[in-house]
Order: sequence, then structure tokens, then C-alpha cells
Amino acid sequence: MSDITELMKTPTGWLSDEGEESEIVLSSRVRLARNLDDNTFTHIASSEMLESIRSEVSAAVMDNRLIDDPLMMEMDGMSGADRLLLAERRLISHEMVMNFKNRALITGMDESLGVMVNEEDHLRMQSMESGLNLRKAFKRVSGFDDELDKRLDFAFSDRLGYLTACTTNVGTGLRVSAMLHLPGLVHNQDIRQVIDGLRQVRLTVRGSYGEGSEVSGNIFQISNSITLGLSEEDTVANMESHIRKVLEFEKKARESLLREARTLLEDKVWRSYGLLKTARLVTSKEAMSLVSAIRLGVGLKIINDVKLSILNEILIMIQPMHLQHHYEREMKAEERDRARADYIRSRLEGR
Amino acid sequence: MLCQFCQEREATIHFTNVIGTRVEKIHICQDCADEKGFDYLKKSNFEKGDLLAGLMNLAAGVEKPGKVRKRCSGCDRTYADFRKTGKLGCSQCYEVFRTELDQVLTSIHGDTRHKGKVPERFGQRIDLSRKIHELQRELQNTIELEQYERAAEIRDEINSMKDSGTGTEQG
Ligand SMILES: [Zn+2]
Ligand SMILES: [Zn+2]
Repeated sequence: MSDITELMKTPTGWLSDEGEESEIVLSSRVRLARNLDDNTFTHIASSEMLESIRSEVSAAVMDNRLIDDPLMMEMDGMSGADRLLLAERRLISHEMVMNFKNRALITGMDESLGVMVNEEDHLRMQSMESGLNLRKAFKRVSGFDDELDKRLDFAFSDRLGYLTACTTNVGTGLRVSAMLHLPGLVHNQDIRQVIDGLRQVRLTVRGSYGEGSEVSGNIFQISNSITLGLSEEDTVANMESHIRKVLEFEKKARESLLREARTLLEDKVWRSYGLLKTARLVTSKEAMSLVSAIRLGVGLKIINDVKLSILNEILIMIQPMHLQHHYEREMKAEERDRARADYIRSRLEGR
Repeated sequence: MLCQFCQEREATIHFTNVIGTRVEKIHICQDCADEKGFDYLKKSNFEKGDLLAGLMNLAAGVEKPGKVRKRCSGCDRTYADFRKTGKLGCSQCYEVFRTELDQVLTSIHGDTRHKGKVPERFGQRIDLSRKIHELQRELQNTIELEQYERAAEIRDEINSMKDSGTGTEQG
């Protein structure tokens, strides 16, 4: 059995609905960028150098105490479809799907802690948690960093902190992000203002799970962009307080929606549920928007027999490579629409 | 047209920047714009040409004429290489191109000094210099408050810390 098949069989920890504020926050992610001293950065490093970095890093990671049974996956030995699968699971970047030579992913089985080797930086450590849990995610990845620091010499300067290939990451090398479901703010159109406000305080906001600029399923990803001059703790605390503000706005928007248009809202939620429970062809875009409505319905207790964790899982599983992997065959777009509909029906019926 | 930063995705944002008499055209994709915070800069600071100048030069890869080209001995790359790709070649580049990078770092982060975590092998040294810095500030306060006895104590403490630190500080 391949490592990927094994990985796919175990539930992904961060998809659970046990995290704080999980009605609105799907997941929290924290990553740290590090490079090995005395080596050129990945983009101009020779194959031999990348190979030696990969073995040095993996030896250090395999030896750490924070990931039990780490799974080491070398990208060059893997098919493009499998790399895409890992990207859909958010374990590797799309950059790594394309540039895979001498790259690797090392992750724990629950996928909550891992490291990409030889991405833009030699190490990109990542920790994921369900719901709003930035502090825990940071603590884990920072502990992992401490462990690796004992075995590896990271490029660092007193003045600029951790040195990275791109000037946008230098300093802490820290990227803190959270995925938020904001149908209330999209509906009352305050979302524009909220995004502008977040950008004013130098946070980056983007639609996620979507292709291009269109925001799919009312899901947004918020992340910090400043890494120099601000400590890790302050970065995490800032992010959390801004996110809590957004949550407050979203909750108010949902309440007023319920107050002012209850019947319309209930109709929309139940229709979406009905559609997904019966449809035989569902495009990815349609699925995203219907799941969003059901998610809102669950959050507002209009629907009580659907678990958020199942909706979270559906969001991952209806992506092309996941569908193909699940049904164990390659599919054209129309076939995938059929498979997607089948998969969603089976999950909503609790099978 | 390809994005000037990643050279990978189609550029979807195009804008023209005028610095003095020079006109520069920027072509960038949405992903890079989001990542580099262009959207933010464009919206709120577009008029402030100076703040943008660093990033704009970086994007356009314009060389100032008559300047001697420095080359990093660690990776054999020049500052022009960085402006073309947006990536440095190695960690030494940060020292070699320090003057040029200060402007870039200020426009991205609003700061040029690291505050935060330190690798273990640097730890003691930095702790010490931070402590000395704090004591110096305290010394200033006590002098202003005319608490000379306390000030003398702090002065001695700073001196002994400096003595103990010299060995590692130079290493
Ligand atoms: Zn780009
Ligand atoms: Zn260099």
C-alpha cells in the first residue's frame, strides 16, 4: 500500500468540528520558513545540493519527538496526480506540484504537523488545527522548530532574523492563517468593507477553494503579511484579535438575517439540502455554494442532523483528484460531476 | 503576458507608475499581488510614490546607470538578479545588498529589525544585548530622576555584562 493511500484512509485531524468557533472558522494554519546556513536558496541550488539538504532535513525530522511515525514522501517518485492530491489536502503547495525534483513532504499521519522540504525555502514547517486555534498551531510548529534547531543550522542574522529566499518572509518566517466561512457578510455586502479594513492593518485576504479571483463557497482565507519587526507572539495575538472582530461582524450579520428574512433563509437552506440529497450531477462550483448554504443552516440550528465535520470533509473530497482517488479511476469533468453528486449524497445520508 | 514576479501565471493586474520623469509598467498576477500586498499598497498609498518606489524598482528591474555592480560571493548573484526574480540567492545576499534591501524591507514590513525567535546557538548573545539595551534605558531614567546610587549600580551591572559578553559577541 502506498503512503498516500495510507494517508487517505486516516481522518484528517483539522477537518473535525471540535475546534473553537468551528461554525465559522474551518481551520487554522501556521507555517515557519527556514533555510540551512551555507547553502544557496532552493531556486538556484544544484540538484546535488538539494539532495543533500533533503537528506539532512529528513534525518533531523525523522529523529524528532513531535511527530510519531513521520511519513516521508519524495516528490520525484510520485505521479502528478498524487502530488495534486496532496495539494488539494493542503499538505504541499501548488508550486511544489510543478517543481518536484529533489523535493519532499514529511508529515504525521494525522496531517496536523509536517514540513515541505526544498520549496521556496529549504524548510516550510506547517501546523494545522480545526477551528480557531492559532495559538495551539503556533505552539506546535514552534516546538517542532526548536527540535529541528538542535540538529540543523538555520540561516539567521541578529538584525534580520531568519533569512528567507523572498524578502516578504524574512524575520520570523511566520505565516499565520485562518479559513473563515462568511456567508452573512457576503449577503449583507459588508464583506467589502471588512476586507478593506483587514488590508488596512496589513492582513491579506483571499477567496479560497476557488479558481481565480471568484470567491467560492463564501470561504475566505486571512493571513498576516508582515514578518519583520513584529514578534511571533504579537503576530499571532494580532491575527486572533482581528479574526475575532470579523467573527463578531459575521455573527451579527447572521442574526439580522435570521430576524429579517427567516422564511427566505430557511427556504434557501432546505432547498440546498434537498438538492444535494437528490441531485445526480453537481459541478464543483454548485456544490460549494450549496454546501455553504447548508453550513449556514447548521450554524443557525435550522438543520440539526448534519455534522459540520462532514461538510468540511465534503469540501476536501469533492475536488478532482480526491474524487478520482476515492472512486479509484480517472474521470473526465462530466464523470466527476456524477461522482461528486454520488459522493455528497452518500455522505449526507450518513453512509 | 506573464507576471513579472513568478514568470508563471498570466498577469491580470497592469498599472503604470510614474516616478519623476520615468514611467514604469507593472504586470503582475493576482496571487503575487496578494502575496506581496500590492493591493493594499495600490489602494491606500498609490499616490505616495516614494513608498512604492522600492517595490516598483524591484518589479521593473531598472538599473541605475553608472553604478558598480556588486556581486554576492556566496551565490555569485547581483542585485539586478534579485530585482528580476524577487528572490535572493543566499543568506549572505542580505548583508551584501544591505543598503538596497533596506528600502525594500521598509516598504514591505514597515521595519528593518527582527523582533522574535532566535536559534539556540544565537540565543545567549542576543539575550545579553537585549538586556544591556534595557538596562541602558533604565540607567537613563534613574539619572533623570536623580537616583544616582541606583544609577551607579546599573552602570556596574552593564559593564560586567559587557565584559562577560565580549567573548561571544565577536565570535
Ligand atoms: Zn505572479
Ligand atoms: Zn548571495
